[in-house]
Amino acid sequence: MDRNQAHRNRRRLLKTAHFIGLFLTMLVICVPGLWIVLNSFRPTVEIMAKPPVWVPSFTLDHYRAMFAGAGEGGVPVFSYFRNSLIVSVTSTFIAILIGMSGGYAFARYRFWGKNSYFVGLMLFRAVPGVALSLPLFIVFAKVGIIDTHFGLILAYVAMNVPFTIWLTDGFFRQIPKELHEAAEIDGCTRWQAFWKVEFPVARSGVASAGIFAFLTSWNEFALASQLTRSVGSKTMPVGLLDFTAEFTINWGGMCALAVLMIVPALILTFIVQKHLIAGLTFGGVKG
Amino acid sequence: MTRRRLPEWLVLLLPAIIVIAAVVLIPLLFSLYSSFTPYKLTRPSTLWKWVGTYNYEKILSDAKFWAAFGRTVLFLTIVLNLELLLGLGIALMMNKVTWGQRTLRTILMFPMMFSPILVGFQFKFIFNDNIGLVNNVLQSMGFNAALPWLVDGKLAMFSIMFAEIWMSTSVFAILILAGLFAMPRDPLEAAKVDGCTPWQSFRHITLPFLMPFIYIAMTIRSLDVARAYDIVQIMTGGGPARRTELLWTLMSRTGYVDARMGLANAMGYVSIILSILFTVYFFRKLSAARAELGMAG
Amino acid sequence: MQKSIIFRGLMACSALVAASESVLAADWGDHAGVTVEAKLIGGQQYEGLYGRIAEWEAATGASVSIISKKSHFEIDKEIKSDMAAGTTDWCVGSNHSSFAPQYEGLYVDLNDLVPSDVVAGFVAGNIGASTVGGELLMLPRAQFDVSVLYYLKSNYEDAEKAAAFKSEYGYDLAVPDTWEQVKDQAIFFADPPNFYGTQYAGKDEAIVGRFYEMVVAEGGNYLDENNKPIFNSDAGQRALQWFVDLYTAKAVPAGTTSYVWDDLGQGFASGTVALNLDWPGWAGFFNDPESSKAAGNVGVAVQPMGSVTRTGWSGHHGFSVTSDCANKEAAASLVMFLTSEESQLAESAGGSLPTRSAVWEANVAAAKSGDDAFRAEALAAFAEGAEYAFAVPPIPEWGETTNIVFPELQAAIVGDKTVKEALDDAAEAVDELMRESGYY
Repeated sequence: MDRNQAHRNRRRLLKTAHFIGLFLTMLVICVPGLWIVLNSFRPTVEIMAKPPVWVPSFTLDHYRAMFAGAGEGGVPVFSYFRNSLIVSVTSTFIAILIGMSGGYAFARYRFWGKNSYFVGLMLFRAVPGVALSLPLFIVFAKVGIIDTHFGLILAYVAMNVPFTIWLTDGFFRQIPKELHEAAEIDGCTRWQAFWKVEFPVARSGVASAGIFAFLTSWNEFALASQLTRSVGSKTMPVGLLDFTAEFTINWGGMCALAVLMIVPALILTFIVQKHLIAGLTFGGVKG
Repeated sequence: MTRRRLPEWLVLLLPAIIVIAAVVLIPLLFSLYSSFTPYKLTRPSTLWKWVGTYNYEKILSDAKFWAAFGRTVLFLTIVLNLELLLGLGIALMMNKVTWGQRTLRTILMFPMMFSPILVGFQFKFIFNDNIGLVNNVLQSMGFNAALPWLVDGKLAMFSIMFAEIWMSTSVFAILILAGLFAMPRDPLEAAKVDGCTPWQSFRHITLPFLMPFIYIAMTIRSLDVARAYDIVQIMTGGGPARRTELLWTLMSRTGYVDARMGLANAMGYVSIILSILFTVYFFRKLSAARAELGMAG
Repeated sequence: MQKSIIFRGLMACSALVAASESVLAADWGDHAGVTVEAKLIGGQQYEGLYGRIAEWEAATGASVSIISKKSHFEIDKEIKSDMAAGTTDWCVGSNHSSFAPQYEGLYVDLNDLVPSDVVAGFVAGNIGASTVGGELLMLPRAQFDVSVLYYLKSNYEDAEKAAAFKSEYGYDLAVPDTWEQVKDQAIFFADPPNFYGTQYAGKDEAIVGRFYEMVVAEGGNYLDENNKPIFNSDAGQRALQWFVDLYTAKAVPAGTTSYVWDDLGQGFASGTVALNLDWPGWAGFFNDPESSKAAGNVGVAVQPMGSVTRTGWSGHHGFSVTSDCANKEAAASLVMFLTSEESQLAESAGGSLPTRSAVWEANVAAAKSGDDAFRAEALAAFAEGAEYAFAVPPIPEWGETTNIVFPELQAAIVGDKTVKEALDDAAEAVDELMRESGYY
């Protein structure tokens, strides 16, 4: 009886500890982001108030100001959003195509020095953006693709290809060779066999590589700040700096733009999260 | 397999090789060259003056550079290890959750959506000693002090590490969680029957199984450790008094504000080598762990 | 930041002046069909002026294409990158007196393009600070910056405080006129962490600028005529000691070494700082109940003195024309338009300080006859403060020296080094830099 009681107590204690631990973790993860969202709806005086104001009031001023014209605090949000979207989507799409073909080559063919090629490709992904930004700028300036969507897309494709190769390689390896051989016997070309048989199986890996590529492009700053200049090509992370001036930072406005930046990424991740986990594990571990 | 006339693998790899060569390799060669010149941005003609290894000698004999180098290695070591431990802890807790796990998992991915530059601004704001959230909370709870989070040497380092860990722990947690899902149940139950304590079964069954997942996470992370640059640059800019100066902040200040690109590129090469070492190290660990599990391709 | 909104109330009086001057609209020349590419500084308080560009386009038949708009330091980085890549065939660029000497050979000498009577309309000191090696590199816009002392009036209206202060320090409590008095009063008023005596910028160029003006106020200088560092002199040590003393007495916020301008401005606006040396752009912000808890309680006085003279580190924005510009006449016309009397009247109506003598007079007169006593008080303080203004040394290496010096200043402030050690270390490193740059 006693022992049973003690056992039950211990279990209850463990359960409570587990709950508290989980709660605290979620709190730490959520609060900084929610703080941004909350502040985008608060007047500046209140954000800056000391002693702090704990009961928030609600205003859409920052959003209103952001969408207003130049000179009234407006920033060209629509252009930034459009640029971000064009650059991220296009570069993700191209990186996936190129990366998939590379991943397929690594998974399906044997050639000399394969492992060195592979690690070599990965290492290019490891080059820090700050170290790359100026030399890249000079090369792009000589070619004349500064301040264009094309230039930024090209840079992001190169950034994302290695990781895509890595993930898709892992997926293609798990697909038995017999599968496409059978398809070829049935009269498919190798190309048809790939799209009809192998691609559907590797879809999760492609999806997770895609979301990683998209998030990287969507959030990248070091290269974008160097390669873009005018409203016609600046992306949202670069646009965040529009809220900093020589002497000041407009926190409320910056929070409002940040919310616009997070929401699409959030929605996208929510949609594909199932694939994301599957893709990372299979692609990476079994590769 | 039939013999093919053309190396098809090369055709398939060619687009990747071309893009990477154009965007990464050529600029890298250019910056390698310029690291042997006194290249100043505002005086383009200095690019043609060869000074040999002068820049390298200069930085290698510079105490400030070595301090930044050491701090960067320390920063990466602490951050990666803590991310691993916290990620493991979070994954184990999540694995026990029976209700609403899907929602929790989505929340867990939340920080991965944030642009590093945004994370920097966000924590600069939160750790502000005058109007920041952290100090406001502390003061409301009765601590009569304004902790200088971004100023005090130790606290500033803590703050930038916190920001970095906040942003990147999810990668570990999610991958390890995926590992836990994939784990076969039988060995654990057998261990229970054999009378193993929970710690023993974790140490000898669960953890070895998770190792490849941990190494993937480490490898993914080591590929973009330099993302921390955006965060540190915004939060402290390497200050105060160089207390949070990392290789990347030192390099960008030398390159752009001082306009000494030759010198900065020499530092850049040291930082590239550092990144490569981290990546190669984890890749090898990953291959070893795969081989152990019989998953090698 | 919200300056232009905040100043809207103040605009009314100056707008009258602007309207009456507009009949003077000059002839900007005929540049039909020309497209002038411009790189402009972005940010709210700068945007208003760009709205006027359409007028110039209508008057000349030319068009302006803004190919880049970025914040202060980002545009500096971009222009340096352009110089490196040789992509400098755009025409008009935003410039700043502290940055101008770095861009060697990028911009033309405007003396060749701008009539001398136009140049004569600007404040002589501003033209001096825009001139490097005899070349006029930019025309100043109505964004002139010099700092004056903002203070909370209530501290000087309390008889009890006044008596306590007098018994402790032996002189009457009044708005400080010297930096010594600022130190005494700051320590006296401070009640950390709820209330601070004063605050200062603590990093980057900002703290070096503050230190530099203090050295000058103490009778020393930053560099000598050969550009050799001499800020580790006795005057320099006294100057730095002032910062250290305030920090160790906890009269400034503990975070002050991480503060730059926005933190400082917000700090004073929160009503928890007694004395604050700050820029003109904040005047309206500080006295606006929408943005500041100190509103109605803010006084403005000329900046205090060191043992020799008043501080007065200053800078201003301007516009330059590149050497590679295809149509320099059109570009110069645009630059003259953006810095014209009309443009300056319009821009300074937003609260910034002009760089033309006539506009100064018009603004001061308008403020005097207006019904805004605070505006008049602030403008009078700035007008007096501007007389002591001086710019940073006009050498390309200024920015680089600040990067060497500020960590050492911080080290002394937080107590890692003594004042002398810190300054000697900094001077040694700057000396090496100057030697490498070939000054001596």
